[in-house]
Amino acid sequence: MSDLQRKLGKAKLKSAMGDNSLKEVDENEDGDQLSELREVVDDDSSSASSASSTGTIIPSPRQKLFARPEGIPRGRSLEQIPWTTYFERELFLKPPAPAQTDTTPAATPSVEITYHAYLTSPVGKGPLFVMHHGAGSSGLSFAVLSSEIRKRLPNAGVLALDARGHGSTTITSPKPGSIDLSLHTLSTDLYNVIQAAKTQMAWPELPPIILVGHSLGGAVVTDLASRGSLGPSLLGYAVLDVVEGSAMDALQSMQTYLSSRPAGFASLKDAIEWHVRSRTIRNAVSARTSVPGLLSDDGGNPTKPWVWKTDLAATQPFWEDWFVGLSKKFLGARGGKMLLLAGTDRLDTELTIGQMQGKYALQVFPEAGHFIHEDLPEKTAVALVDFHKRNDRSALVLPPKVSDLLAQGKRV
Amino acid sequence: MSDLDKWVAQLRACRPIPEADVRELCHKARELLIEEGNVVTVNAPVTICGDIHGQFHDLMELFRVGGDVPDTNYLFMGDFVDRGFYSLESFLLLLCLKVRYPDRMTLIRGNHESRQITTVYGFYDECLRKYGSANVWRYCCDVFDYLALGAIVLGASNTLSPASESSAAQEYADMNLEVEVCNADGVSTFQFPRQSRSLTSSSDPQPRGSPNGSSSTAGHSSPATGNKTGPPGSGASGSSGGSVGNPAGAVLCVHGGLSPLIQTVDAIRLLDRKQEVPHEGAMCDLLWSDPDDIDGWGLSPRGAGFLFGADIVKEFNYKNDLSLIARAHQLVMEGFKEMFDASIVTVWSAPNYCYRCGNVAALLELSEDESGLGVFARSNGDVSRSDGGQEKGRPNGFDTLEGPARRYRVFQAAPQDSRGMPAKKPVADYFL
Repeated sequence: MSDLQRKLGKAKLKSAMGDNSLKEVDENEDGDQLSELREVVDDDSSSASSASSTGTIIPSPRQKLFARPEGIPRGRSLEQIPWTTYFERELFLKPPAPAQTDTTPAATPSVEITYHAYLTSPVGKGPLFVMHHGAGSSGLSFAVLSSEIRKRLPNAGVLALDARGHGSTTITSPKPGSIDLSLHTLSTDLYNVIQAAKTQMAWPELPPIILVGHSLGGAVVTDLASRGSLGPSLLGYAVLDVVEGSAMDALQSMQTYLSSRPAGFASLKDAIEWHVRSRTIRNAVSARTSVPGLLSDDGGNPTKPWVWKTDLAATQPFWEDWFVGLSKKFLGARGGKMLLLAGTDRLDTELTIGQMQGKYALQVFPEAGHFIHEDLPEKTAVALVDFHKRNDRSALVLPPKVSDLLAQGKRV
Repeated sequence: MSDLDKWVAQLRACRPIPEADVRELCHKARELLIEEGNVVTVNAPVTICGDIHGQFHDLMELFRVGGDVPDTNYLFMGDFVDRGFYSLESFLLLLCLKVRYPDRMTLIRGNHESRQITTVYGFYDECLRKYGSANVWRYCCDVFDYLALGAIVLGASNTLSPASESSAAQEYADMNLEVEVCNADGVSTFQFPRQSRSLTSSSDPQPRGSPNGSSSTAGHSSPATGNKTGPPGSGASGSSGGSVGNPAGAVLCVHGGLSPLIQTVDAIRLLDRKQEVPHEGAMCDLLWSDPDDIDGWGLSPRGAGFLFGADIVKEFNYKNDLSLIARAHQLVMEGFKEMFDASIVTVWSAPNYCYRCGNVAALLELSEDESGLGVFARSNGDVSRSDGGQEKGRPNGFDTLEGPARRYRVFQAAPQDSRGMPAKKPVADYFL
C-alpha cells in the first residue's frame, strides 16, 4: 500500500469517526444545540478536504483530532429558559369573596391565597386548554406543551396554574406547613382560577374548555369535570399518566422514592442536570423550562441553597384522598375523555374494562416517562389537538337522524 | 405429515414456529386472502367468535367448547392479537388453520390488526421478544392488510339443532327456540322461545346471574316467559318458519359496526381494503364503531369511529335484508349482548380479559337450514321479499326480520395452571 493510499485511508477513517461522534451528539442533544452541531460538521469537512488536497494529517488544536466525542459537558446547555418564551402573561388572581358555601368551612376564613397562573389567551372562538400539574410540579410543566399546541392550533389559549403550595401561588396559613391539599379544595381552586381569569381578562363568557391534568392534576380535573360546575363550556378532559389502581399501588413506595431525591441543589443548573440525568424529565428543553419553577433559594444551606418549594413527603395524608374513586369519576363524568399513559400496564381493571367497552380514548407513549407532556411535548400536543378537534362542537357535523328524515317524509 | 400439519401441531402446543416458516405461512395466507372479497360469504352452520387478544389457552378452551377444527366451521371477527401474552401463537395458529382449511375458517380484520395499534398494545414487543427481530411482526402485518372487512352468513336456520348428541332433535324442533344459552359443558342454561315481536319485552336475552352457572334447573322449561307462542307460520309466532324458503335472513359479521359512509353491504365491497387501517373513513368506522342507546349517529369516545343507534341498525338491516349484525370489539361481561330488538349482537370471546377483568366469554352458533330448499329468500342482494314486496306495517319505522335461531355457548377462562405467565412488570415508582 502506498503512502498516499494509507493517508487517504486514514483521512476517510477520520471523517467516518467524525460522523460517528456527530451522531452520538445528535442523539444526546435532543435537537436543542443545532448551532454547535454545525461547528462539528465544519471541522470535519475542512479537515477532510485538507487531507485530500495536501495529504497531511497533523493534529492541530482547531481540528481536535484527539478530542473526545462531544458530550454533555460542552454541548448541553443547562441554562434555564424563562416562562416568557412560552406564555403571553402571568396572572395573580384572588378567589371570589368568601360568600361561597361549598368550600370547607374550617379552612376558608383564615387563609389568604393568591393564585398564580400563566396564560396565553385564546383568539376568537378558540378553545382554552386549562392545565393542572401534578404534586410537586408547577404550571411551567406545561410551558413547552403549550407552545406545541399553539403551533398546531394557533387560536388556542392555554391557562396553566400553580396549585396551592406549588410554584408561585402564595398562601398564608394559620399553621405553617399545614396547607389543605384535599382533592375538593384543589378542584375548587381550579374552578376559581378559571372564573377569576375570565373576570380579569374580561371575557364575555367562558371559552370552550379542555381540561388537562397530569398525575395529581389528572385527579383534580376529573373531580372538577364530574362536579359539572363548568357546564356546557367543558368540551372534554384529558388525564396524563395517572390511573387509580396503579397510583394506589405506587403510593407504598413513594416515601422511599422521595427520600432518594436530593434535598437541595447548589444551583439551578445542577437541578436541571439532575432531572435530565435521572431521566425524571427526558427532554432537556422541558427540564430547562420547568425545573426552575420547582425550587427556591432559601439561603439556609450555603452549599445547597436551592430546595424544593413543595415538601412532597408532608403531603402524604392527602395521597389516598387524591386517587380514591378516580377511575369511576373518570368514566362517569360528562364530556370527551382521553387518557394518555406511558405504558398500557398502568391501566387498572376498571379502566381496562372501560377501554374495551369504548368509553374513552386511550393513547400510549411507551417511550415517555411519567412526565409525558414534558418528555414528548410534540406528540402530546398532537394528541390534545386531535382530541379537541373531535370534541369541537362548533365543527361537529353528524349525519342526520333517521327519525328526522322520516319526519320530513323522505324515503330512507 | 405436511409442513402445514406440522406447524398446526407445534402451534397447538403453544410453541412458535421458526421465522422462515412464519414467512412461508404468511405468504401462503396472503395468496389465499387476496382472493377473498371485502365481504366473505359464509354458509351456515358456522360458529362466530369475537375478540381473542392473544389469550392462547382460552382459544384452546374455545375450541374445546365449540368443537375442533375442521369439525366445526369458525368465523373469527378480528382482534386476534395484543394484550394477551400469546398473540403470536394465537394468530399464527388461526392463520395456519385458515390456510389448511380455507372453507372452514374465516378471519376478518379487527382494529388491533394494524401496525400502529400493535406497536403499542403488545404484539410488536412480543414478536421482538420471541424472535429477536421485528421481521415476524412485519410478515403478520402484511397479512393483516389482506384480511376481509366483513362476512355475510347465509342459510342459517331459524330452528336450533340439538346442543349435544344426547338431546333428541325432535324435542328441539317442537320447542321452536329462538335463543339458547349453554354453558361450557353443553348443558342448556337458558332457553327463549320464538315469540311475536310485539309481545317481547325480553327480546334481549340477557341472562341474570352467572350465565355459566350450573342452573340446570332451568332445564327445558322456558324461564323467560310463560306466554305460549303459536306454531310456526301462524300469526302468533311472528315468524314464517316452516313456510317456503329460508326466512332467517342473512347475518352480517363485522368487527366494530356501521359507518355513516356505508349504506349497503355492496358499498363495503367497493372499498380498497389492502392498506393500514386509516384514522377515519368507512374502513376505519367498520372496525371502530359501537352501537349505543342513542338516536342516529354520535361521536365515539374512543377517538375513532362513531356511535350508532337502534334506528341506524334497523334501517341498515331492512335495506340490506339482514336479520342480524354480529360484531365484537366491546367487552361484555356476560360474553354476549343482543341489542335493539335482537337486530345486533356483540360477541366477546376473551374470558377474563387481560387476565383480570373477570368476564366470561361466548361464541355464537348458527345452525344450518335443513329444509333442503336451499333458497335464501332474504339473503343480501335478493330483492324479492317473502311477502312479494308488499308494503309492511312499520311500527318502528322498519319491520325487522326475525333473526336466525342462535345458540350462545358461554365459557370461562382456561385453568390458571395451564399457562406460564410472564412476571408482571413492577409498578411505576413515581406517581404523584
